Amino acid sequence: MDAVRLMKELRVNYEQEADFLPRETGLNLIVSAQQSGGQITARSRDVTVEDLWSLTSFFGYSTQSFVQAVSLLDRFLAMMRVQPKHLSCVSLSCLHLAARVTEAECDLTPADELIRIGQCRFTVSDLGRMEKIVAEKLRFKSKAVTALTFLQLYHQITLTHTTYRKETLSLEKLEAQLKACLCRISFSKAKPSVLALALLRQEMKSIQSDDMLEIAFHIQRHLKIPDAELQRWSERVARCLSDYASPKCCKPNHRKLQWIVSRRTAQNLHSHRSVPELPTIPEGCWDESESEDSGEDVMSSGDESLCSSLGSDAEGPFFPLHLRHQYLAA
Amino acid sequence: METTKLPPSSPSSPTTSFSVPSAEKVDGFPRRSMRRARQRRSHSSSQFRYQSSQVELTPLPLLKDAPVAELHDLFCKKLQQCCVLFDFLDCVADLKGKEIKRAALNELVESVATSRGVLIEPLYPEAIKMISVNIFRTLPPSENPEFDPEEDEPTLEASWPHLQLVYEFFLRFLESPDFQPSMAKRYIDQKFVLQLLELFDSEDPREREYLKTILHRVYGKLLGLRAYIRKQINNIFLRFIYETEHFNGVAELLEILGSIINGFALPLKAEHKQFLVRVLIPLHTAKSLSIFHAQLAYCVVQFMEKDATVTEYIIRGLLKYWPKTCTQKEVMFLGEIEEILDVIEPSQFIRIQEPLFKQIAACISSPHFQVAERALYFWNNEYILSLIEENCQVILPLVFATLYRVSKEHWNQTIVSLIYNVLKTFMEMNSKLFDDLTASYKVEKQKEMKRERERADLWRGLEEYQERRTQMLTEAARNQRNLQERGERGDPLSPSSPQTAQSDQPEPKPSGASTGAGESAT
Repeated sequence: MDAVRLMKELRVNYEQEADFLPRETGLNLIVSAQQSGGQITARSRDVTVEDLWSLTSFFGYSTQSFVQAVSLLDRFLAMMRVQPKHLSCVSLSCLHLAARVTEAECDLTPADELIRIGQCRFTVSDLGRMEKIVAEKLRFKSKAVTALTFLQLYHQITLTHTTYRKETLSLEKLEAQLKACLCRISFSKAKPSVLALALLRQEMKSIQSDDMLEIAFHIQRHLKIPDAELQRWSERVARCLSDYASPKCCKPNHRKLQWIVSRRTAQNLHSHRSVPELPTIPEGCWDESESEDSGEDVMSSGDESLCSSLGSDAEGPFFPLHLRHQYLAA
Repeated sequence: METTKLPPSSPSSPTTSFSVPSAEKVDGFPRRSMRRARQRRSHSSSQFRYQSSQVELTPLPLLKDAPVAELHDLFCKKLQQCCVLFDFLDCVADLKGKEIKRAALNELVESVATSRGVLIEPLYPEAIKMISVNIFRTLPPSENPEFDPEEDEPTLEASWPHLQLVYEFFLRFLESPDFQPSMAKRYIDQKFVLQLLELFDSEDPREREYLKTILHRVYGKLLGLRAYIRKQINNIFLRFIYETEHFNGVAELLEILGSIINGFALPLKAEHKQFLVRVLIPLHTAKSLSIFHAQLAYCVVQFMEKDATVTEYIIRGLLKYWPKTCTQKEVMFLGEIEEILDVIEPSQFIRIQEPLFKQIAACISSPHFQVAERALYFWNNEYILSLIEENCQVILPLVFATLYRVSKEHWNQTIVSLIYNVLKTFMEMNSKLFDDLTASYKVEKQKEMKRERERADLWRGLEEYQERRTQMLTEAARNQRNLQERGERGDPLSPSSPQTAQSDQPEPKPSGASTGAGESAT
């Protein structure tokens, strides 16, 4: 695709993106909601989106399905007052809808499997009904214009201008970073074109390519994105990505996962915790002196085989001194 | 020697009858071992050395009625009476004598248990003699040569009514506050202990239970015998592992060892560490591991709690002996690994995490669902999870590919769910690492698919080439024949003859045609 056509397509999408932004008032309600208020909070939305990503990844869906699902979810939550207990149903139906228009028929996971793996309590018919509601309310016809759309376009544009560098700007990496940002509701307010550009620039900075940054600037001018807005989102993206890339492992909240095992395994699980009935017999240092049979005799033959078979050197505390001399001398 | 009467061979023989509960029946028929237990022949009894001149026992006055001056003498006499053995296979013989002995034994037990000042020096040899005479016997060969300790009912000791009282007496004797180890050690010597240990091979679990408690007390009180006892137990275990694979008392001996290990002084002696490596770990290879696994695992974990440096030996040992074909044992091993990980120190964990998690990954991909489940369930253990989290960078790459692959391929839905839980846990731990691994996994998969496609193309190309060659050769052969025929008939060669023109350009057959004919031409 040549550069001119790409730029035209960029323009077209830029004009359409406002249609797919979630209502800001709705988002603000969610962000300001209290945990105990019986409403959906920012935390619960973020956790749900993380679950969606787990499912996407597990079933091998593409990033596009995930991004589409999040777009549907945010728009729906910003428009309708949803009770927290229905949140999982809403999110799963968004994923199912998104997957249906994105994935090939053969790769589509059936609804019952989706519900089972997601450890949800509702039925397949519940899911179907919710899908209809979501599709109706959002007037769902085709794929939304999202940050991924722009990311892919930006990537292609960059490629056409710098063919010799095509290995270094990885679309997969950008997609993973976009996914990390989408897991936070604060980025739902950003215009997709701006968010994508901020991500692009961040990556270009990290690989230290001034030529590419030039191209990014070119795109910014073409779309007339104000500097202040871009700067604001760039800072937030930078912070989010530094959290994402930190090598520190966080403690997973695995308590909410159900660990179901078969009956036989469950029976075996705690059968070993038997409390010993015999009281402890403390070993005394006087044992050996009173004994008729010296303790050293017990394992007198082939002591070095202990060390050699397990790869330790002969210096350890295992090797009684008098025997060590005997065997090393031999 | 007069022959002993055979017991009536009816199913309702009192010594051996027991109603067969329906749970013991397989397909409505009692198990094989049940049927065989009905008829006990005397030559298979350890009590076959039946005394021909049976001593008639006369009932003696009761101990509690005896005046103090005569008490010890009476006690001695009763002990001597109890040295007479009776045949319990014949349930109607000597009923009077049996009852006298039983009553006497009962009295002796009561006396030792309740009264003080009974145990004076002269009684020690008599008591030990009585005990020896009653319990030390050659154990009969098993009634059931294919006795499976897990499945079959054990053959119970016929003379248990007396034997139980003798053991009870011995136990009370040892536990009496008047018991003097310095006096007893003259009579409870190495020979005695060796015979005691041999009795642990008894099939009767009640007997082994008594022996266990008795040996435990002996070990506790007679310090001079401790090293000898440990040595003999080692011998028994080593014989069991490497020679016979048969010994009924492994679990009981391990229970005693558990209490001994628990009491080890620090730093651990070399002898004990060698015992761990040379005996305890190889014990895991026994076929009948399920009988004593709980006790064995307890011993192993106790060692770890005493001295963390043995951890590496234990885990490497278990990995070395990891069962390759017995899935029941694999599940046991996994259970033991979890118990070990529950008490492992983080510094030790780091040393063995790589080989351990490679094995765990192999277990996850096992087609046996119990093995896979047990391995996956490790991720439900909070402490293990914290260890994994600290070393996420090392562990996740080891199991990642397996988890992904198995989630797509496994037949069991529970496993697929558990894998999702594990993957989700990893994702929450470190999402960047997870994404990186996902990306590289996808790249690997693409490469693999590409290799497969290239391979398929290569084969197809070869087959097509083969076909073309065959065709060329057959055409050439046909031409040859034509020329010969014409030569014989004397026809002029016509260059525009349709056959030869065709043969100059062999048409490539369309790909996908059968290659059955192609092979023969080469």
